Amino acid sequence: MILGHSDYLAILLSLKVASVATILSLPFGFAVAYLMTYRRFRGIVVLDVIVNLPLTLPPVVIGYLLLLLLGQHGWVGRYVLQPLGIKLIFTWKAAVIATAVVGFPLMVRSIRTGMETIDQRLVQASRTLGAGWFDTIVTVIAPLSIRGLIAGSILMFARGLGEFGATIVVAGNIPGITQTIPLAIYEYVSSPRGDAIAIALCLISICISVAVLVFYEWLGRRMVRAD
Amino acid sequence: MKYALRAICFAFLITMLSALPARAGEINVSAAASLREAVTELTGTFAKNTPGTTFKNNLAASGSLAKQIVNGAPADIFFSANPEWMEYLKGKKLMDETNITTLAYNVLVFVGKPELKVKTMRDVVTLEKIAIGSPKSVPAGQYAADAFRKAGIEKQLENKLVMARDVRECLMYADRGDVSGAFVYKTDAEQMARNVKILFIVPQELYPRVTYPVGLTAAGSRKAEAGAFYRFLQSSDAKKILVKYGFIVK
Repeated sequence: MILGHSDYLAILLSLKVASVATILSLPFGFAVAYLMTYRRFRGIVVLDVIVNLPLTLPPVVIGYLLLLLLGQHGWVGRYVLQPLGIKLIFTWKAAVIATAVVGFPLMVRSIRTGMETIDQRLVQASRTLGAGWFDTIVTVIAPLSIRGLIAGSILMFARGLGEFGATIVVAGNIPGITQTIPLAIYEYVSSPRGDAIAIALCLISICISVAVLVFYEWLGRRMVRAD
Repeated sequence: MKYALRAICFAFLITMLSALPARAGEINVSAAASLREAVTELTGTFAKNTPGTTFKNNLAASGSLAKQIVNGAPADIFFSANPEWMEYLKGKKLMDETNITTLAYNVLVFVGKPELKVKTMRDVVTLEKIAIGSPKSVPAGQYAADAFRKAGIEKQLENKLVMARDVRECLMYADRGDVSGAFVYKTDAEQMARNVKILFIVPQELYPRVTYPVGLTAAGSRKAEAGAFYRFLQSSDAKKILVKYGFIVK
């Protein structure tokens, strides 16, 4: 095989960054989707726009804004992270944050779609039977929107595997530390002797994506049957 | 409706046709990122003295440029920051072999925050993160990697190296404070650095001399204007401009 040690690390890192970003976003995604589906409050449009903005913004813009915010001279970077001794920029954690922000709208959208299909009478019934809002979420809404949760997670994971623009700005390109598959491919593509490895990494990328999509379809069918 | 559609198609066709042939007197320059200011002034001076000539400058890592030229990017003249990528294009028969010459030389330095106590290659190992150009396509990174090998600090630097797209990005990482320091050319450090300064000059015995070959590409050799510009590059006026930006011309 033509792949080197750092290329294998890139594959592992891609999987790691995408999974961690997805798992971390899950509770927030659920909370935001719940607010937007079941609560009517001032500023819901603002929340909607902010959550969906990463979907339409160029990822590079997101990366740069994160860098300005979290970097050495950024507000959060200087006044929160530095006193606590936390370094984010150019670490794999920065890649996780970038991936989480970029993929978040996809997750929220899927969960919302799942929640909107829940029969409202079930929610109302649980409230009339004495369940508080928290009980209703845990025992009625969460289990009934499980399909949306899974779909959202898979979608976000898949998007996370492909994250490039925001990641290269905040996490840089450090082989073995922050170099994910897309970053490695980019580096090989701009290198005169990198074509063979670039193609190998593309094939691996395609395999992972196909596997994720097949899993998504399979799960969808199984759930339809379970209904 | 039909007429409108026809008109749109016609307009599209005209646009395509007029875009196809390169404008007469237009020279496409592909130049190493470290030459940005020097090449801008060289082309500017030549264009001023030769009415009707315009330039399109493409500045990036020399390896990336070589790859672009292999893939058919328009380029009449290629400035590389190392002989390797020039040889690579020569091997692909994309250069005019009779018109390649050495333009200038440069020196590799290490830049960092002024308060850092880093004086030698051995001290670099103690730092947290160091930016170099990606050795796969950025000559400054290749020279730096050579120096690490010769100095025997290659292993210790693993996982500390942030790979930049070109030497200017490398300097920017250091200047912005996102890395402790960076290996760049002396000319970059002198022109661009604001928050960092040169901490030491990398000893010349650790890496091959930074050499900038320049040459006409196979496409460029068929263009009279490109040939004239290539000859201008060897004039004393051109040398003066290079010296002004800190390059070594002999």
